[in-house]
Amino acid sequence: MVSRPAARFAHLAGLVLVFAFAMFPFYWMVSSSFKDQGDLLASPPMWLFEPTIKHYAEIWADQKVTAAIVNSLIVAVSTTALAVLLGTPAAYALARFEFRGKSDLWFWFISNRMISPIVLALPVYLLAQSLGLLDTHLVLILIYLTFNLPIVVWICTDQFRSIPPELEQAARLEGAKQFDVFWRIYLPLGLPGVAVSAIFSFIFSWNELLYALVLTRRNVQTAPVAATSFMSGYELPWGKIMATGTVIVLPVTIFALIVSRHMIRGLTMGATK
Amino acid sequence: MSFLKLEQIVKRFGDATVIDHVDITAERGEFVVFVGPSGCGKSTLLRMVAGLEEVSEGAIYLDGANVTDTEPAARQVSMVFQSYALFPHMSVHDNISFGLRMAKTPREEIDRRVAEAARILQIESLLQRKPRQLSGGQRQRVAIGRAIVRNPKLFLFDEPLSNLDAELRSQMRVEIARLHRDLGVTMVYVTHDQVEAMTLADRIVVLRAGRVEQIGSPADLYERPDNIFVAGFIGSPKMNFLKVSVAAVNGGAVTVRHPALAADLTLPTRHAPRVEPGEDVVLGLRPEHLSVGDGGAACLALRGEFAESLGATSQLYAQTGNGETLILQVPGRRSLAPGEGIRAGFDPAQAYLFDGAGRAI
Repeated sequence: MVSRPAARFAHLAGLVLVFAFAMFPFYWMVSSSFKDQGDLLASPPMWLFEPTIKHYAEIWADQKVTAAIVNSLIVAVSTTALAVLLGTPAAYALARFEFRGKSDLWFWFISNRMISPIVLALPVYLLAQSLGLLDTHLVLILIYLTFNLPIVVWICTDQFRSIPPELEQAARLEGAKQFDVFWRIYLPLGLPGVAVSAIFSFIFSWNELLYALVLTRRNVQTAPVAATSFMSGYELPWGKIMATGTVIVLPVTIFALIVSRHMIRGLTMGATK
Repeated sequence: MSFLKLEQIVKRFGDATVIDHVDITAERGEFVVFVGPSGCGKSTLLRMVAGLEEVSEGAIYLDGANVTDTEPAARQVSMVFQSYALFPHMSVHDNISFGLRMAKTPREEIDRRVAEAARILQIESLLQRKPRQLSGGQRQRVAIGRAIVRNPKLFLFDEPLSNLDAELRSQMRVEIARLHRDLGVTMVYVTHDQVEAMTLADRIVVLRAGRVEQIGSPADLYERPDNIFVAGFIGSPKMNFLKVSVAAVNGGAVTVRHPALAADLTLPTRHAPRVEPGEDVVLGLRPEHLSVGDGGAACLALRGEFAESLGATSQLYAQTGNGETLILQVPGRRSLAPGEGIRAGFDPAQAYLFDGAGRAI
């Protein structure tokens, strides 16, 4: 039997360890973005240094980076909006209606997440090419939708199932049409699940690199592509890459913080009931 | 034609028949209670009236129209659910006005009717609260408010009081009775609690295993049960049953014999007797119709077990020589020593006989 203070210390030490492990790359990225190229490459690493904002000034001046962030915003916001718009009614149907092949359909939704994305990269490229969709926002939105819809459907189906069926029955007796039931009962009560799936969808679309790299050229480069595009030629401008990385992470972090209250509620829902 | 008519209703879930050819009618303004043990199909029957369950066979008529296949919303019925089913994200006002808003009622009209319902149910001060900020009794009122505000043709209650504590339950029972009197509407009420059934109903439908056992006024069921199930279900404490043998059948009277009976007992029959001498039948005696001593035309010799005092009355548990336990409900406090010999007197006019199949003789 471990005494209580010792157990608490072990608990705390474990937390600090996990926190440090998770946060270190983030710290390294942000701190590097404020270092000179010389300080960056110093060995052993420099923990104390003279901060500089010149990398930020550089990327801010770089049309490519700002355009890439705008592209990323267009793609991520559209994908998330569409995934929620299409996914929540599907989830409602899966949660509440009985129809033939329902469980197969549900499984089929998630099965496309089982395929490694790289396997599909070439077929998708050829398809996009023949449809003339290469280097457009639309092709990224469509391909991200195929990855995000299953997540939205799965999370929201589970969320909607936890809503007592009597609420729907009561609403229907009160004269609510099918759409009213969905719109006025399921959507507001399922908001935590909707928020969680929206965050997942947004983060995925914002950070995705592989398809963005394969399917875009110059016009629709997204932020992660822009960041990696600096790694070309004979130099590696680490400071600029790190500054771009920091700028890329910022919107997702802000978005997640805003909705985190819903997210936590959503993830713990069902656990305490 | 009756205001509400259920005609040969059958409900099957897969191979299981949960409602088996049920016929029930209710007149306009009547308070009908479906009562029965868990799993008897009473809630399923109510949900079929509401339109929440499909009818496998048979027809439902409401106010002259066949509504068997009508959408729930178009039936103009309101339902109070056991779980209240309040919308947790809406205020009390929005919960109550939900149906009116769905019907695109003008705003002033909604406010007027919500205020009226809130006044009737004394929840005016709660209109801006969310359901989670209400007590069980208040939630119950809101659920009833949501039902009455639309002036439906028919009110359905699905065990509405079962989540409340005993005191609140009796209080709400009185309020529902008052509501029925004041609004003069037709109500169908489902409960497993025979006290609620007896106190609220104009007419009780006793159900068991998907079949109607008996339909009648509370007094009918209490005084003239059709069978042993109804006799045992209605009344508290439960009716005592003794296995007796038929000594003689004489026109409209049956004479029965039991070792604990001081003498053979001759009872008039309600129906033409379908029993033969020597056959075993069941004698039913309500606890409140038994008294201690020889007061009464008939008398049982019993051995005491123990007594429960309820204050105004006492319940005495005593056994016959065969080991059958009987309950006597007697006024005042009375103790009973184990093994103490007591005599239980009763009036044969208040005794019941049931044949081997459980039907009243």
